[in-house]
Amino acid sequence: MEEYHPGDEVSFSPDEASNVVKECIEGIIGGVDYSQNKVNQWTASIVEHSLTQLVKQGKPFKYIVNCAVMQKSGAGLHTANSCYWDTTTDGSCTVRWENRTMYCVVSVFAVAIVL
Amino acid sequence: MDDSHSVEETAFVVDEVSSIVKESIEGAIGANFYQQNRVNVWTSNVVEQCLSQLSKLGKPFKYIVTCIIMQKNGAGLQSASSCFWDNTTDGREHHYSTSTETVWLGDHCLSNLGVKPVHSVSQ
Repeated sequence: MEEYHPGDEVSFSPDEASNVVKECIEGIIGGVDYSQNKVNQWTASIVEHSLTQLVKQGKPFKYIVNCAVMQKSGAGLHTANSCYWDTTTDGSCTVRWENRTMYCVVSVFAVAIVL
Repeated sequence: MDDSHSVEETAFVVDEVSSIVKESIEGAIGANFYQQNRVNVWTSNVVEQCLSQLSKLGKPFKYIVTCIIMQKNGAGLQSASSCFWDNTTDGREHHYSTSTETVWLGDHCLSNLGVKPVHSVSQ
């Protein structure tokens, strides 16, 4: 794991986090169809893998990763989030992914650890 | 300010958060049926109302509130969440019936994250 050194620039990169998350999603549900008895394992794996990869970057952030997987059946789904934090240091990104049978929405929130 | 006084003011009260969330949901959605052209307004209102009431508590926390609204038509929905934070100061409350989650993050950090704190955030 990379070490953080005080004095390093602290900034959340939404693009970098998005790429990390996309790779995790692809790796776990890339070529599969929605399956009711597997979906709980998938969401758990997606958040765990994403979190592990983010923490490995060694940046001084706390992270929250949320993932929702929904079967494609015509139902409407809407999500929203709102944050009360320090806009100069904290940030978030949301990845929307889909295949033939399901939607996956992953949100990453990164809150800077004050030094 | 002695320690016990400041612990009370900075402690997180889950019941308090829970009732704020429930009121926000009822206020925003109430007994309405799912309507595609109103759902974006509902989700925004839920999170904004929650956040506004939480910040009014005046406690030294950052907050993240997420809300998912889904139409009931038999589709499967599964969600999960994982967090990397400080277990002694941070926490979350999940309101299951409408999937609203509130996360709070304290302003103290501990060396178990591999980073040494120099001072706390002041609001």
